[in-house]
Amino acid sequence: MDFDAIISNLPLYLKGLWVTLQLVIMALAAGFVLAVPVALAAASRNLLVAIIPKAFIYFFRGTPLLVQMFMIYHGFAQFDALRESFLWLVFREAYWCALIAFSLNTAAYTAEILRGAIEQTSFGEVEAAKACGMSKPTIYRRIVLPSSFRRALPAYGNEVIFMLHGSALAGVITIVDLFGAAKIVNSRHFVPFESFITAGVFYLCVTFFLVWLFKRLEHHWNAYLRPRETIAVPTIAATAAD
Amino acid sequence: MGENNAAIVVEDLHKSFGAIEVLKGISLTANEHDVISILGSSGSGKSTFLRCINLLEIPTSGRVYVHGELIKMVAKRGEMQPADQPQVDRIRSKLSMVFQQFNLWAHMTVLQNVIEAPIHVLKVPKREAIERAEAVLQRVGLLDHKDYYPAHLSGGQQQRAAIARALAMEPELMLFDEPTSALDPELVNEVLRVIRGLAEEGRTMLVVTHEMGFAREVSDKVLFLHQGLVEEQGPPDQVFNNPTSERFRQFLAGDLK
Repeated sequence: MDFDAIISNLPLYLKGLWVTLQLVIMALAAGFVLAVPVALAAASRNLLVAIIPKAFIYFFRGTPLLVQMFMIYHGFAQFDALRESFLWLVFREAYWCALIAFSLNTAAYTAEILRGAIEQTSFGEVEAAKACGMSKPTIYRRIVLPSSFRRALPAYGNEVIFMLHGSALAGVITIVDLFGAAKIVNSRHFVPFESFITAGVFYLCVTFFLVWLFKRLEHHWNAYLRPRETIAVPTIAATAAD
Repeated sequence: MGENNAAIVVEDLHKSFGAIEVLKGISLTANEHDVISILGSSGSGKSTFLRCINLLEIPTSGRVYVHGELIKMVAKRGEMQPADQPQVDRIRSKLSMVFQQFNLWAHMTVLQNVIEAPIHVLKVPKREAIERAEAVLQRVGLLDHKDYYPAHLSGGQQQRAAIARALAMEPELMLFDEPTSALDPELVNEVLRVIRGLAEEGRTMLVVTHEMGFAREVSDKVLFLHQGLVEEQGPPDQVFNNPTSERFRQFLAGDLK
């Protein structure tokens, strides 16, 4: 085992980690913003409204992320019209192509998680909101979406971890993310085990943080789903034995 | 129509679900401060009738006036629909409903449930909404449980929270849809006591119920529905002591035996 090459290349790994975090955070943010309207439309009972979002979800869940990224990075470059348009400024860059692919992919998965959560909304809670005189937009903004986000949270935590790991594909198209950094270290020093296990450890650390983060978020936002004994309510805390 | 100062006037209300006609022409006038109990065996259409008043069910035909204002309906592709959804929302904000299954918003605490609609429908400032909420929670005996989530309360407490939520809207009329039917017998009384208190302070209420004692003691008027029609109606003394309809007599016998 030779970890000297790893230690001398730590700055490269940290740079790669930074690129990975950028890609993942931006893709998740863009994906989430896109996922909310897609999920709302896909949950519609009107087939005309639901069909396009459903097709979008089906396509991006139905094909590998690697294929999607290659389509956007290699595939689109084949069309002269694109190469001659201003869009080429975006599509010639591996970084932006990866970001677009990741965003659309996570948007599709997130939309599907949200769609399920929206459709599970208690009918009675919606009726109670109607009976109070809430308009339809208010019902969505105040009741349906807040309760759906909470129900979706555990599954979404899983999607965030998948996105982190999926982002390693960026290293395949010349981007120096964590995986890209490991590839470079391996090719320079021929230490495949050490170089890739080091990337793995970085991924593990980020995953560990994400698991912790989602545990905290669930603890806070989904307290209403836990048994009462585990929740600190002032009136209970006052009488609690411990 | 919408004569004098009636809180609610319902004229010739019909409701069908597919080929099945559930309500076959029901009329009702509730004056201010009236407490009207609506009785009937299951399937008689009593809940559907109540839900047609605030348009949770869309009547097939008929008219509903709230304080003289007709709820406007139009026929679209052969089905009745509200003509003016903002009008419906505005009227609903004056008619609070209490449901059999409570229907509290599960992800909100009791206090959040109570301030939600005053803030987001009536546009009451948050601080004032909280003051109002604390007063109504005190009233239903839940102030010390205001930070609990609904799932952490008993059924009776949940229903009292739902009543507090309804009261916080300062409604002109309250609709109770079998408010005690989902409760364990020993929890029924705590909820009835609250509803009785509201009746005594002169609130206008329509109560669909199976509680004969409550209907008899608290209401100004009793309506007995059978197979989608009003089979018997009048002041409780009259209908309970001298029922004219054979059906109602049977219903009472079955219930009181």
